[in-house]
Amino acid sequence: MNRSNASSSSVESGQLRPTAAAAKAREPMNVLIVGVGGQGVIMVSKALASLAQSKGFEVKQSEVHGMAKRGGTVFSHVRFGPQVWSPTIPKGEADILVALEWAEGLRWLSYLKPDTGIFICDTKRIVPPFACLNRRPGAPLRYSRETPAEVKQHVAEGYAIDATQMAEELGNERAANVVLIGALSTALDFPPEDWEKALSQFVPKKTIAVNLEAFRLGRGWINEARTRVGVATVPAEAVPASMEAGYSVRLEITQQWCKSCDICVKLCPERCLRLNEERVVELAQPEKCTGCRLCELLCPDFAIRVHLDTAVPTQGAQA
Amino acid sequence: MSSTIVDSAAEFDVRDYLRKEMMPHFLCPGCGHGIALRALLWAIHELGIDKDKLAVVSGIGCAGRLSAYIDANTFHVTHGRPLAYATGLALARPDLHVVVITGDGDCLAIGGNHLIHACRRNLKLTCLMLNNEVYGMTGGQVSPTTSETRLTTTTPLGNAEPNFDACALAAAAGASFVGREVTHHVPKLKELIRAGLSHPGFAFVEVLSDCTEIFGRKNELGSSAEMVLRQKSELRPEAYRDTVDTPFRSNDLPTGVLTKTDRAEYGTAYRKAAAVQRAAKAAKSAAGISK
Repeated sequence: MNRSNASSSSVESGQLRPTAAAAKAREPMNVLIVGVGGQGVIMVSKALASLAQSKGFEVKQSEVHGMAKRGGTVFSHVRFGPQVWSPTIPKGEADILVALEWAEGLRWLSYLKPDTGIFICDTKRIVPPFACLNRRPGAPLRYSRETPAEVKQHVAEGYAIDATQMAEELGNERAANVVLIGALSTALDFPPEDWEKALSQFVPKKTIAVNLEAFRLGRGWINEARTRVGVATVPAEAVPASMEAGYSVRLEITQQWCKSCDICVKLCPERCLRLNEERVVELAQPEKCTGCRLCELLCPDFAIRVHLDTAVPTQGAQA
Repeated sequence: MSSTIVDSAAEFDVRDYLRKEMMPHFLCPGCGHGIALRALLWAIHELGIDKDKLAVVSGIGCAGRLSAYIDANTFHVTHGRPLAYATGLALARPDLHVVVITGDGDCLAIGGNHLIHACRRNLKLTCLMLNNEVYGMTGGQVSPTTSETRLTTTTPLGNAEPNFDACALAAAAGASFVGREVTHHVPKLKELIRAGLSHPGFAFVEVLSDCTEIFGRKNELGSSAEMVLRQKSELRPEAYRDTVDTPFRSNDLPTGVLTKTDRAEYGTAYRKAAAVQRAAKAAKSAAGISK
């Protein structure tokens, strides 16, 4: 993942588009499209593949979506050129990486060509459940903390678009993938009319208008971004390193009422309760307790009362 | 951020609604009735019902005993007759929120007749039936809701009778609000009881509760915690009725709000008729004086 010398040729890549470079070398054009299930990754790759095919290229497309389902990781390899042998893109060989979700984009960065690859990424964040292992309310997420500016230093040409926001402003959040197609279209040599024709085949009939608008919006955004000096940036909200909410949990246990039925101990999601020598419940691991109140609600003897003391701020984790 | 996670449970302290001098209560360790009582008191707290405006009537049995722990107007009455007492109370004092706590045997066997007529009458009442499938207090005899093949002290070979679906009975008898929930889902149970309490008519809420010491032990259903967890794994919400084939408690008992109709409430209709008659009488006597 070391790309220390990657940015050296970024000036060059601005002049020679990868499509032209590929055509010269008679090598296939490699486009990797990634995202989260339900975002429309496959639709993007289908539109691109059918367009390339209609232009007389040989196209191979390979995708994994069956196991991912909605909410899981989805990727699709699209390769086209005069002659394509393998349907998958080797690591470090993708000319363009289109990511519909921020962390998914980062996951696949190593597939991008270090010196000429174009990275087009939506800044949309879909936080997976395993990024929320700490279940205390307000606990820091284990989601990627890299900012778009940091990532752009590692790629030859990078665009971070808030496509979801743009699509939402058009009135249909689901057109975000088409905004990214618009962005992608600027990196390839196909005329925009053909893109629009291909798109119209793959979106639902009722949404053709909004999708074409989204396409033009994405295309316009990239063209505008490219005329600006240096790499394009969008004001992505800074992710604070730690935003642990200031609260502490206190369990008030009425010992005389506890009948040691063990329900709270067995059903505590954090397993932080236990019965002591006198078979009375106690909070064995206070640091694990998230204050979910399950023990309080399920205690048939009303022996537990959970207090969340929000007044005490714990902002020592800033450093 | 945390305010979305912490709901009314934060300000609801069940101890504010309990007679603390009576605690700890007499129920066995792990008995689900305590959880059901919490849900009832939580719903009452959320609705902001004044304790002086709350009347709890209960019959005999483990469930019937619960009224003794509620810091409100409570009435511990004869076996099977809490609905009869509550009918009188609700008719005489329409300003009160009358809640009946009854058990499966109390409600369906000894008081079965009272139940069907209370359902038919549709007087504004909330009937909370705590179903633990057994007569726990008297030593674990078979009850009308004991599932088939279950062991009790009076069915040592396994219960051969089909069990009663109390909600279907109540709905068929004309109750205008019928719902069922398990004790494991306390917030959902609270919501159901709350809906029942605010329903303008007869609300019948069945709570599937666990008897761990007697029924659970006899049938080797494991510890209290295991019985609560079994509710979760074998639960069968109404919405999934046709898609899940693991039945809850070896029979087909859907949960959620099962029936809701807007039949005329008996008390209102009665008072209206009485007022009309009173007015007619007054007019008649006034006419008599003027002659």
